[in-house]
Amino acid sequence: MIVTNPDQTSASTAATKLEARDLNIYYGKFHAIKNANLSVPQNCVMALIGPSGCGKSTFIRALNRMHDLTPDARVEGSVLLDGENIYAGGIDPVTIRHRIGMVFQRPNPFPKTIFENVVYGPKIHGERNKKKLLEICEKSLRGAALWDEVKDRLDRSALDLSGGQQQRLCIARCLAVDPEVILMDEPASALDPIATSKVEDLIDELKKEYTVVIVTHSMQQAARISDFTTFFLMGELIETGTTSSIFTKPKDKRTEDYITGRYG
Amino acid sequence: MASMDIRVGDTARAVSPAALQRSGSQTILAVLTGLAALASFAIIFLMLFFLIAYAYPAIRFNGIEFFTSGIWNIGNQYGSGTMTRNGFSAQPGASFGALVFIFGTLLTGALTMVVAVPLSLMVALSLVYTVPKRLRPIANALVELMAGVPSVVYGLWGMVVLVPWIGEKLAPWVTAHLGFVPFLGGSAGSGNGLAASVFILSLMVIPIMVATTRDVMLAQSNSLFEASMALGSTSWQAMTRAVLPSVRSGVVASVLLAFGRALGETMAVLMVCGAAINSYPENIFSPVNTIAAVIVSQLESALTDASGMAQRSLAELACALFVITLIINVVARGIMRGADRREGRAA
Ligand SMILES: Nc1ncnc2c1ncn2[C@@H]1O[C@H](COP(=O)(O)OP(=O)(O)O)[C@@H](O)[C@H]1O
Ligand SMILES: [Mg+2]
Repeated sequence: MIVTNPDQTSASTAATKLEARDLNIYYGKFHAIKNANLSVPQNCVMALIGPSGCGKSTFIRALNRMHDLTPDARVEGSVLLDGENIYAGGIDPVTIRHRIGMVFQRPNPFPKTIFENVVYGPKIHGERNKKKLLEICEKSLRGAALWDEVKDRLDRSALDLSGGQQQRLCIARCLAVDPEVILMDEPASALDPIATSKVEDLIDELKKEYTVVIVTHSMQQAARISDFTTFFLMGELIETGTTSSIFTKPKDKRTEDYITGRYG
Repeated sequence: MASMDIRVGDTARAVSPAALQRSGSQTILAVLTGLAALASFAIIFLMLFFLIAYAYPAIRFNGIEFFTSGIWNIGNQYGSGTMTRNGFSAQPGASFGALVFIFGTLLTGALTMVVAVPLSLMVALSLVYTVPKRLRPIANALVELMAGVPSVVYGLWGMVVLVPWIGEKLAPWVTAHLGFVPFLGGSAGSGNGLAASVFILSLMVIPIMVATTRDVMLAQSNSLFEASMALGSTSWQAMTRAVLPSVRSGVVASVLLAFGRALGETMAVLMVCGAAINSYPENIFSPVNTIAAVIVSQLESALTDASGMAQRSLAELACALFVITLIINVVARGIMRGADRREGRAA
């Protein structure tokens, strides 16, 4: 039931950064994602929408091998990063997650200082030079539009920040390892409207340097921030295309029903 | 008993005013649990009070020597006359120095922690993060089961299996081949002693420590582990750099609780420790003794002391143990509560 969208051909002037091929995901016997195919062009924002429980999180977690951490999850098919299958034998998932970062639904800063949070990744990857780490810290916090708010208290606990600041800190922490792709699973759903709009502005900035895949529960948000939108329903990828085509002339009846508010 | 008052506190916090209005049974429950908590405090206090009152003559008679001397001798029951100090008398030649037992208690407890803490942390981390979900109920059941085995069973196993093995195989081999290492040389002994005690105590506290640290890690949820993994860390880095630091105080508290348990353990230690009197351990196979074990092993001979001072000195030993474990428990629970508040759990 996959509808290929002709709009994508026009957009395919941009190289494909990330591509899921014949992706099937199981939790034990439960078939959570059924044969999904999707390609994400470079330097674009791809939104994943669909009713709760349709498999958006399941799908996005397959894109940087987070399911390796869920003992019951099984992934079949392939995910290509620059044409290379990240599930191929001999590929180290650790280096994949280095290249494909992830921001979670609930802000999850480490109970450490703001500085230590941002430089956690670089330190893990062997950077020891304090001056270099400070540079990375400033650059990443600027990238996450948080620098001005925290520059005077980098040594304070990250847990003292507001929820919105914590989420931007998590984004900064993700930028600090210099990924190519950033996956975000409902990054604004735990935030108030002002914090949400800050994060949305930020996502718009991010696509200049990164490729972004974002799960969102809000269609308005998908419409505001994304170049492409993909609709999931009950484990199936129903339709994908440019955001404007999905919202103005959906090809599938089920997409239309969802857009017009006939499902949760 | 102390744990009861914690749970009561949590219930009280969880009951909202609306719920209280809604049902009178809630109020009754709150009152009953409050009374139970008070009663448990009162019981602890009374026990300590009577223990100290009973031990008072010994406290006066022994003075500071109790903590500085390693000689425990109830005196000569057939000797003539009595020996009197500070207005209290004992059999002639009596000396009640507890240093051997205090030292033995702290030494076995500390060595047990050295063995048990790293092992427990590794088991807890793997139970939370790496053991497949299907196997977790089995692994967890095993942990609960091990924690529930009565200590006398561990002691009996130690006596009939572990001690002979140490005495006949391990200790002779180690003292012969590794004798140049400090505390590994010298007499191989019978197998009863420090090594057997530490092994048995580790078996007993590991399940307790695994269960408590596992629960602390579960309460903190997967999110920090995943956050670290998503930044391209290995799972070892995620556990040691993200998870462990965030549960540090909970882990410290559970280690202290287990330490208190190890200090107070009686039967199992008594059955394998070699019941040292008046001698300090020379190597890891030497006989040792702990406060808890010596109270039981010396009770019978103490009852032959017509002056009663030996019994009262055993009570003084009990006081010392009581105070040590009480302090450890209070500190541990204080740390745990503080950690809950700081790390945002259960509030
Ligand atoms: N760890 C898991 N084990 C078993 N089933 C799961 C697990 N995670 C999610 N599921 C199931 O997979 C389906 C898709 O879940 P999810 O991907 O979280 O949906 P969404 O993010 O779109 O709300 C749901 O039916 C959910 O119950
Ligand atoms: Mg989800």
